[in-house]
Amino acid sequence: MAELQKDQITRGDFLGFGLLGAITGAILTIPPVAFILTPIIKTDVLGNSDVSENWFEVGHVSEITVEAPKDFDVFFPITQSYGSKVIQEESGVSETDYNVRNAVWLSWRDHEPPSFLEGLKKGDSITQSQIEEVNEKINVLSNSCAHLGCPVRWVITEGKGEFLCPCHGGIYDINGTYVAGPPPRDMYSYTYEVREDGHVYVKHEFDVQPGIPGISTQEPYVI
Amino acid sequence: MIGRVRSQTSEASKFMVDWMEHRTGIVTMLEHFLFEPVPKRGAWIYTLGSAVLGLISLQFLTGILLLFYYVPTTTEAWNSVYYIMNEALFGQLIRGIHYWSANFLMAAVGLHMAQVFFSGGYKAPRELNWLVGVILLLLIVGLSFTGYLLRWDQDGFWASVVGIKIGSYSPFVGGYITHFLLGGDTIGPATLSRFFAIHVWLLPAAIAPFIGIHLYLLRRHGVFGSDFEYTERISKLHEQQRMEEYDLYELEEDEHGGNGRDRE
Repeated sequence: MAELQKDQITRGDFLGFGLLGAITGAILTIPPVAFILTPIIKTDVLGNSDVSENWFEVGHVSEITVEAPKDFDVFFPITQSYGSKVIQEESGVSETDYNVRNAVWLSWRDHEPPSFLEGLKKGDSITQSQIEEVNEKINVLSNSCAHLGCPVRWVITEGKGEFLCPCHGGIYDINGTYVAGPPPRDMYSYTYEVREDGHVYVKHEFDVQPGIPGISTQEPYVI
Repeated sequence: MIGRVRSQTSEASKFMVDWMEHRTGIVTMLEHFLFEPVPKRGAWIYTLGSAVLGLISLQFLTGILLLFYYVPTTTEAWNSVYYIMNEALFGQLIRGIHYWSANFLMAAVGLHMAQVFFSGGYKAPRELNWLVGVILLLLIVGLSFTGYLLRWDQDGFWASVVGIKIGSYSPFVGGYITHFLLGGDTIGPATLSRFFAIHVWLLPAAIAPFIGIHLYLLRRHGVFGSDFEYTERISKLHEQQRMEEYDLYELEEDEHGGNGRDRE
C-alpha cells in the first residue's frame, strides 16, 4: 500500500489541522455558496418575493363572456437582478419596466352568469349585493397549466369547450377542474377582489394548499 | 543545387525537432498521444468517441465566437441573436454549427454509449471510465438545457419553463431547485443571467477536466476489443463449449449402454 504519511500525526496536530481546516474551509466556501444561493435564501428563508404584492386590474365584469372564458393580460412588475426597483429608479430606465406577464382566464362558473349582467355596460359600477353575486359565480384562473406551466387554451371540440394544455394534453373544464391528462390538480386560481367600479382585481397569489413540496403540494412557481 | 537545399532544410528541421525534444519532450509525447493500437475488427465503430470529442470541440469554438455578439439580458438577448443571424458575416453559419452540432452531439453520445454498452467495454478494468462518461453525459444534458433558454424566444422560453418545473416535482427540495434555477420566485432577468453563467462558464469549465480524465483512462487501458482480449475471451468460450459437450457424451453413454463407469 502506498505510504502517504511518513511521520506519525499526533492528536494535537490532528485537532489543530482539523480546526484550522474547518475555519479555512468556511471562509473559502460560505461566501461563494451564499452568493450563488441568494435567491433561495431570499425567497425560501426570508420569504421575500420578486413579484409585486399589489392588486392589479384584470377587466370589467361585463366583458366576461358566457359561452367561453375570456383571457386578460396582467403585467405584474418584478424586481429581480438588474431589474430591481432601486436600480431602475436610480438609473432612470424605469420605462423598460421589468414584469412577468400572466394571462388570467375569467369565466362564469358552469356558464351561469349573474342575473344583472344583461344590461351591464363596460365602466358601470355595481352594488355590494351584486359584488357578492359575482364572487359566487366567477372563476379567476391562471393560464399556467398545473402540470408543467405551459399556457392553456380554450378549445371547443364537438360543441363542448375545455381548457387544453398544448404541451402534454392536460384538460380542465370551465371551472378549471381537472378532467384528464397529467396535471396533478385543478388549475390555479388567483386571490381576487371584485370592487364597486365593476372591475376584477388580482394579486399574484394562488390557491396552494400547504404540504410537502413535490409530494402533496405544487406551486405554480415559474410564472 | 536542389539537393543541397533539401539536405540543408532537413538538417535544419531535424535540429529544430531535436531542440524542442530536448527541452520539452514534445516529440515523445506526440508519438505517445497520436498512436494507439485499435482493433482491426469493426474499426469504424471506434470513431464514435472521437466524433463526440470533435463535436464538443466545435461547440467550444463556435460558442466562443457567438459570445462576441450575444448579450445575456432579457431586453437584448433575442435582438443580439437576430443580429448574429442576419447581420454578422457568416453568423448563420457559426450559429448553425453551434445549433446542429449540439443536436448531433446528443445523438453521437447515445451511439457512443450504445457501442460501449453492447460491446461490454464498460467491464473491468474500465468501470471508472464508464462512470466518468456518465458524468460527461449529465454535463452535456445540462449544457443543452441551459443553452436552450439563451435564445429567449418562445420556443426556448417555454421549453425551459417546462424543464424548470420538472425539477419542482422533486420531493422536499423541489422548491429550492426551482428557485435556484429561476434566481428568484419567477422567471425573469435573473433566470437568463443564471443560465448564461451556467452555460458559458460553469459547465464548460467542469466538462474540460472530465474529458481529460476520460481520455487518460482510455489510453491507460487501451480501446476495448484488442486482439488479446478477444482471443482470451473466445478461447474461454470454446473451452466452456468443449466441457459442455463432454458432459453430454457422458450422459448419452450412461443411457444407452448401461455400462458407464461408476461415479464417485
